[in-house]
Amino acid sequence: MKQTLQTATLDNGITLLGEFLPGVESVSVSFHVAAGSLCDSVMHSPTNRSRCGLATLTGELMLRGAGNRNSKQLVASLDNAGVQWSQSVSMSHGSFAGAMVSRQLPESLEIYADILRRPLLDKQQFDPARQVVLQNLAGTEDDPTHRTMLALRKAHYPSPWGLPSEGTTVDVNNLQHSDVQEFVNRFIQPQDMIISVAGRLDWLEFTNQMDSLFGDWQGQSREPVINGERGKKICHVPYDSQQTHIALAWDVPPYRNPDSLQATAALAVLGGGSSSRLFTEVREKRGLCYSVSAGYQTQRDIAAAMAYSGTTADRAQETLDVMLHEIASLPGTITNEELDRVKARAKSGLVMQQESTAARAGAMARQWFHLGRIRSLAEDLERLDNLTVESIEHWLAQNPLTEVTTVFLGRNPLEVPDAVSP
Amino acid sequence: MQFRHEQLPNGLDIIAEVSESAHSASLGFFVKTGARDENDSISGVSHFLEHMVFKGTDTLSAEDINLRFDSMGASANAFTSEEDTVYYAAVLPEKQHDAIELLAAMMRPALREDDFITEKQVILEEIKMYDDQPPFGADDQCRALFFKDHPLARSVLGTESSIQALPVEAMRSYHEERYSADNLVLAASGAVDFDSLMASARQLCSPWQSVSHCNRKVSFSTTPSKAITDIITRDQAALEYAVRMTPGPAEDNSDRFAAKLLAVVLGDDSGSRLYWDLVDSGKAEHAACHHHDFLDAGIFVTQLSCEPEATQALLDRIIEIYKAATKGLTVSEVDQARNKLLSRVVLAGERPRQRLFSLGLEWSHLGRYRSVGDDLATLDTISREDLHRILCEWQLTELSTTVLAGPLQKD
Repeated sequence: MKQTLQTATLDNGITLLGEFLPGVESVSVSFHVAAGSLCDSVMHSPTNRSRCGLATLTGELMLRGAGNRNSKQLVASLDNAGVQWSQSVSMSHGSFAGAMVSRQLPESLEIYADILRRPLLDKQQFDPARQVVLQNLAGTEDDPTHRTMLALRKAHYPSPWGLPSEGTTVDVNNLQHSDVQEFVNRFIQPQDMIISVAGRLDWLEFTNQMDSLFGDWQGQSREPVINGERGKKICHVPYDSQQTHIALAWDVPPYRNPDSLQATAALAVLGGGSSSRLFTEVREKRGLCYSVSAGYQTQRDIAAAMAYSGTTADRAQETLDVMLHEIASLPGTITNEELDRVKARAKSGLVMQQESTAARAGAMARQWFHLGRIRSLAEDLERLDNLTVESIEHWLAQNPLTEVTTVFLGRNPLEVPDAVSP
Repeated sequence: MQFRHEQLPNGLDIIAEVSESAHSASLGFFVKTGARDENDSISGVSHFLEHMVFKGTDTLSAEDINLRFDSMGASANAFTSEEDTVYYAAVLPEKQHDAIELLAAMMRPALREDDFITEKQVILEEIKMYDDQPPFGADDQCRALFFKDHPLARSVLGTESSIQALPVEAMRSYHEERYSADNLVLAASGAVDFDSLMASARQLCSPWQSVSHCNRKVSFSTTPSKAITDIITRDQAALEYAVRMTPGPAEDNSDRFAAKLLAVVLGDDSGSRLYWDLVDSGKAEHAACHHHDFLDAGIFVTQLSCEPEATQALLDRIIEIYKAATKGLTVSEVDQARNKLLSRVVLAGERPRQRLFSLGLEWSHLGRYRSVGDDLATLDTISREDLHRILCEWQLTELSTTVLAGPLQKD
């Protein structure tokens, strides 16, 4: 498969990434500003007032009018251009994305330039925007799986990496319009911004337009994040539910560390796909649960493996025991057949990503953020081909699992053995 | 895009939308069976059977099936609804035959009793999982009250007691009757080799028997006699969740697309009347309107989640918003909604996996093929007047069935 990957850098530090995808009518663009929820913690000083949720509230307010369009006009212009738009906040980034029929790209880029560079931050819109964030927080209270994973992140990661991007009700209630204004001034900056585009695309036209829309934007340098303490290793969140939710986390290398390939392959053997060990042992053989899985979550410098299952209270202890046993017994037991299946699934995933302009734009931006470059499909496939059971086992042997963070949400706590051993 | 269709002598339809530019092939068996084809004594059997289909055949174990799907790098799954049970796999083109071979084998499952007993526990866990999640059963309860004795009133999951009481023999006879060759459609989309697909189907599916079926359609009175409200109390919930249903066009009604466009104008996730009034203002966590169509009935479903004490006022407000809409929609809001839908159709058309479901369900229900171009052309012909006519005809403001779930108590 011939691939056309492009990169360019504007003088102010904005990176442009592009891939022409043959056979599609659409194009997707995504803007990633280094203004994620980590910046909430940078804002804590000097007043020491915690502002968890500020990045999220800022994202919400930025969409409520920009340039010469008010909130309704802005949404109407995106909708009328047939842009399927979205806005989100992760730990590292505030992101705005849109997928559309390719002829609408130039018009939509002008709108996005307004959102990023000329948000109105209308004071009249501040309270409604805050209410939206608070409503979303109330909604997540009713999602036991989401609450379990939030508690796991908080317990496992050093502060501020485990803080919820969506914010906390207490902090969001205390935020002020001036906080948003300050956040925009300090963090909505061109430095380290990634703009990624994939689909039916004229790269030269795109870069010229981006230069005229963003080229004269000058900003200031980034501020460092200071790491704090970790939470408790075992944590029970009392909740009146029929099911007990179990979540486990342990340290693995971040994506930019070459060893992450071994770590994620081992994780896929453990909990990816319906032939994985967790699915087979917990659900298929014992019928203990409906959902059980393990996955990988990476930031630039830290990463975690996370496993989850939800099951009836009286079967939760057995579920936890089986999960811990499977995690502990992985080293030394991975087979070639298991690795072949992991490779086949990963290969399909990589190739099928080429069918979605939005998935490609997002994936390129992620690779750039973590690696400072985009790997071609051929290179990604070659890395998979070169992966061996020996290299995974070697990595597992060199990096024995010593500590697992365990979170339960439900009526009763469970017993966690002192040591993780097969 | 090229559409192909052939039928085996036993009545199995094979359809495909072949795309030159796709990188993958999506394949699926669409079984014309779901909750509406059940009765009280087998409530939940369609969905339970969907799980059992993954537990193996006379020559394959559950583990074999999981291993084979993962070995071919397939993204495979299944779902059950009121009217359909669908099994599908997305694979790289060179795995087309392997995927069909496995899916076809699965359509004739062993339904072993020990697997049945183990899987019953998984189904009960799934029921409990949904019971812990919003909208805490309000959707099932609302459909039950709205459709009363019509088959669409039935729950897809069934209940804990119906699943506990279900014997394996009942599932076996249900399977024999419902998974008859002429009650299935084999659909494919993307980088499909249709000639090879036909060869696989002839080899693998020709022995399947067909049994005759009765008409699944049951007439549904679209004029409710009275408004119904019910409350499911969940003390631990933070928000109140409301589901409101009123009648709408069925799938064979020529207003089906217009009804969907109207729902986007009124209650899309963003940029709609409900959105600007209730969500953008922060009054509700979520407020949306959707149109769902079935073989013989349609519904407009309004969903609301908000602080419990605000529920009644916001439900009243929604009626006011719908009333205001009957007095006139603007050309610009209809065009805005149309542009959104057009774009969604084009983008979904680029993904074989998404096309598979439109393709398979359309054929399964209506026995016809609609291309992306057909959908775009239909959307272009819908006028503002059509939407006004639907608003007058279907009376979203009138007698509805509403179920609330959350901290609110019954009076």
